[in-house]
Amino acid sequence: MFQLRWVWANMKGYRKLFICGLLCTLTCSFSVLINPMISQQLVDKVVIGETAADGTVTRAMNLLIPLCVAMILCTFIRSSLNYLSKVCYEISSQGTVHKIRNYLYQNLQKQDMNFYDKNRTGDLMTRVTGDLDMVRHCIAYVLWMLLDSLAMFVFAIVYFLTIDVWMTLCLVVLTPIIFAITKVYSSKVRPLYINLREKMSDLNTAAQENISGNRVVKAFAQEQFEMDKFDRKNDDFRVANKEPSYMWLRYYPYLETVAQSLSVVTLLVGGIFMIQGRITPGEFTVFNGMTWTLSNPMRQLGMLLSDLQRFFASASKIIEIYYARPTIVNRHDCVQPKKEYDGKVEFQHVTLKFGKATILEDVNFTANPGETIAIMGSTGSGKTSLINLIPRFYDASDGKILVDDVDVRMRPLEDLRGHIGMATQDVFLFSDTVEGNICYGDTEMPEEQIQEYAVLAAADDFIQKMPDGYDTIIGERGVGLSGGQKQRIALARALAIRPNILILDDTTSAVDMETEKYIQHSLDTLNFKCTKFIIAQRISSTRHADKIIILQDGKIAQMGTHEELVKQDGYYREIFCLQNEGAEMAGVN
Amino acid sequence: MARNKFDIDETLETPFDIKHLKRSFIYIKKHTKKMVAALLLSALGVVISLFGPILVQRGVDVAVPNKDIAQVVLLSAIFLGTIVINVIFITIRSKLMVEVGQDIVYDIRKDLFNHLQELPFKYYDDRPHGKIMVRIVNYVNNVSDLLSNGIINFVLELFNIIFILIFMFSVSVKLSLVVLAGLPVFMVVIFLIKNFQRKAWQQVSNKSSNMNAYLHESINGIRVTQIFTREEQNAGIFARLSGNYRKAWLKATFISQCVWYSVDNIATIISALIYIVGMMYMAPEVSFGVILAMSGYASRFWQPIMNLSNLYNNFINTIAYLERIFEAMDEPVTITDAADAYELPKIEGQITFDHVTFAYEPGKNILEDVSFTAQPGESIALVGPTGAGKTTIVNLISRFYDVDGGAVLIDGNDVSRVTLHSLRSQMGIMLQDSFIFSGTLLENIKYGKLDATDEEVRIACQTVCADEFIEEMEKGYDTEVNERGSRLSQGQKQLIAFARTLLCDPKVLILDEATSSIDAKTERLLQKGLQELLKGRTSFIIAHRLSTIMHCDKIMYISNKGITECGTHEELMAKRGDYYHLYTSQLQEA
Repeated sequence: MFQLRWVWANMKGYRKLFICGLLCTLTCSFSVLINPMISQQLVDKVVIGETAADGTVTRAMNLLIPLCVAMILCTFIRSSLNYLSKVCYEISSQGTVHKIRNYLYQNLQKQDMNFYDKNRTGDLMTRVTGDLDMVRHCIAYVLWMLLDSLAMFVFAIVYFLTIDVWMTLCLVVLTPIIFAITKVYSSKVRPLYINLREKMSDLNTAAQENISGNRVVKAFAQEQFEMDKFDRKNDDFRVANKEPSYMWLRYYPYLETVAQSLSVVTLLVGGIFMIQGRITPGEFTVFNGMTWTLSNPMRQLGMLLSDLQRFFASASKIIEIYYARPTIVNRHDCVQPKKEYDGKVEFQHVTLKFGKATILEDVNFTANPGETIAIMGSTGSGKTSLINLIPRFYDASDGKILVDDVDVRMRPLEDLRGHIGMATQDVFLFSDTVEGNICYGDTEMPEEQIQEYAVLAAADDFIQKMPDGYDTIIGERGVGLSGGQKQRIALARALAIRPNILILDDTTSAVDMETEKYIQHSLDTLNFKCTKFIIAQRISSTRHADKIIILQDGKIAQMGTHEELVKQDGYYREIFCLQNEGAEMAGVN
Repeated sequence: MARNKFDIDETLETPFDIKHLKRSFIYIKKHTKKMVAALLLSALGVVISLFGPILVQRGVDVAVPNKDIAQVVLLSAIFLGTIVINVIFITIRSKLMVEVGQDIVYDIRKDLFNHLQELPFKYYDDRPHGKIMVRIVNYVNNVSDLLSNGIINFVLELFNIIFILIFMFSVSVKLSLVVLAGLPVFMVVIFLIKNFQRKAWQQVSNKSSNMNAYLHESINGIRVTQIFTREEQNAGIFARLSGNYRKAWLKATFISQCVWYSVDNIATIISALIYIVGMMYMAPEVSFGVILAMSGYASRFWQPIMNLSNLYNNFINTIAYLERIFEAMDEPVTITDAADAYELPKIEGQITFDHVTFAYEPGKNILEDVSFTAQPGESIALVGPTGAGKTTIVNLISRFYDVDGGAVLIDGNDVSRVTLHSLRSQMGIMLQDSFIFSGTLLENIKYGKLDATDEEVRIACQTVCADEFIEEMEKGYDTEVNERGSRLSQGQKQLIAFARTLLCDPKVLILDEATSSIDAKTERLLQKGLQELLKGRTSFIIAHRLSTIMHCDKIMYISNKGITECGTHEELMAKRGDYYHLYTSQLQEA
């Protein structure tokens, strides 16, 4: 039931409208009875008329037009009310869902990397789309139908009681059976719906990964494998879809039979009562004509509870991410934002652990404002983890990181990240124009400036050559661009926010030498204060750094300038020799 | 059509076409037997349920006046019997329809997915992935009900109408005409709102597609968003997209509800008209009994029409989704097996470019008249400025694109003449993007060769120096990763992708920036294993790192739409051209 309370809480602002809708619906169900009454009058008074003792029939022809008009008016009002109630439900359900969806989106944006490491894209998508649609369905249909059925049921019972108590009791005696059956069904179907939405999420994931990985699929000619894999998910989903329906069909015959049996009870009991003289034929007609007001809610109940269970399954999944709280958040006592950072970064005894694995151990170093720090090390030595600590993508397990002498955890997150420009290894570009991608961090930026940063990142040339220049739309993840081109756009994007701390995680690996040289020159002559962290594999990218840090298994193995490190035995010299080998062979130097 | 992004609606050029419905009959046809059975069961059910009122009538008119309790009980028992039979029929019908509905959805989704597998890169490059996804999953789900229950109900209601029409006309032709007089009005209403309705539902599908696309991208690009602190701005964009969807949805439902609204009112007006016309103009010649009967029929006639209008709403709504699904299914497969394609025999490894010209966009040639031959077992490095066409050349070998002029030959076989599968399955292609699927590392590596043994996987990993770090992970090869490759560094991802490629034991190996993120030392270790591997395989290597390329048998410098220099490292160095320039610039740095 928590799920329902959660929905109700989110309906704030739409509750009145929703209740208006309910009132309209109740009025409608009530007025369903009016038209039959009017036509009854038409038939009795106008068409058949009153037969006097002498056999002459007097027909109240003067009532014909008024009654017909009343009938039309009544329908008009009823259907308008009905339309109005639909409008109320649609607006309030869409409004509520819109609100939840936006909140979910905002909350997803705030989650830290731990969250994204755990959740699959396809699954998150399912929650915000398919699951949320169940919530909409619940508000726009299930809730009011439940109330409507209940009201109809109560109304009918009260009405019947005024006619004959025993007869009513005989009809109502079947109700507990219906409740018992629906209750059993409802508890049985619940796990099936939970399973169904899992399968839906699996299907989404399978489709999503196939689309995102379409190049790999084609490269390995694994289309058949993908089809088979998807076919299994598709089939699982089909089976999972059928299961709750079959479960329903197992209980449906009993429910339906009992519900329809009300008419039989009416005939049997009513017939006997009539013979006994307990009720008049007129009263019997009322019972007979109105049993549907009892049986309809009974049959609806099963369907509605079924939908409700489905809603519970979906809502639980949404609530999980609705209340997900990132562990990396602003502290209440954090310091004031600063307009500009000096760019001093200090690691003090920093240790980072994921579970049992130690990623970084006792890392100490200081980067002074304006310095360039190069980080090198073998694959998996913790380079990326190290720089991820600066913008707080993860928090250190031990020790602290100071930016301008203040612990990063004490700085407001937006402020901290707002001063850090980062170009990551896995270049992610959005399906937007080139321009939109470069000014991602500052959408207000004028066009000339965008171009300026593209020039700095050596991207202007190839952008100009694209079909629509800066207005060319690039595909998701920048597909269609070469690796080097993507990296340069990512670099321009990072530079465009004029960061005081710039982090380049292997950003020039796919760029040719000459371009790299050009980029290095740009970075050296930036017209704003900037401390740079550069992860690279090539000596050419790192040799001019003020400080070179060599990471090995999460620890700093060596630290110093190019000149210092070349003289020391160790990783750096090894790499230097490796990369210089060619030079000697060719005899250029 | 130009590339699409999240906030651009996809235009649909084709006008409303009944063909879509016809086409969906292909899927329904398979289930004809079940459909017919369900229809018959439903029809029988309707007939049986007609007995109920008759039995009640008999009870009231005969049994009760005779004070015959036994007969009342008997009638009740029969009544119960008809109910039980009817319920059984309905249950069977529902079961059949569940099967049909789900099977149809399954089939459509399967066909759609399989078709998507054949589409070229361009299709995926041209639109946000969320838009493709929403078609496969959400849209297909929406069509099941219409194509199963919808059709049965449609037929039933049609019969219902015909049935009642016959009754009506047999009672009074004139009054029947009055009843039918409402029909043209109804038609006009339907006709008037049809276009709005269809557009409105198309908008709904467009807006939901846009919203999905943005959501999908936001999840995948979360790190970029966070580092650029764009959360709030993105939330604003999303709120706009979500709001557009809400608006579109509300508009569509409000329009759709009008159909029902007008039917309800027209039906009542008609009933009233029957009384008025009957009483005032026809009273003497038409008996009052007839008027009574006609007013009864009138409401019975309009009930199925109301049901039909509901079905119609459903139909218009579903068509908007069907259109999108079929549109994707109709997307031409530009790269496919030729009609007379043959299996490429086991590759020896000779690769020839014969005057190849290629352009991604007409008129903008990337490659012009490129010719070269790679001998079996040769390793060829492609160097040159970014965007010059290095990746394009290797993409043409594996026929990811078709050449615009000339031909690409493998052992003398034109790649466009052989089956795609026989071609690509013999090649090992490592791309710039090392996409990792969710699943275990083992599964990811086995992607290169599904039936590989664990031992083979291990050997491949050892060759590419991935074994060590995998073994260090909590669960070793069984460590679960997700599609964003969580907690694997880019270098580690590349090593895994490398192992994956090697496992398929390709005759032609293509490494496109495959080692860019791998550190120099690991790369050095890798080189040794790689040298072994390159033996007996023709390989194309795109790299910027000199250590990777200088050992290749041949180095081609790509720029200016073609190969400007070609030769061994020594030859090119002696030539003192572009390559020399590139090489020395790197060395001076080092």
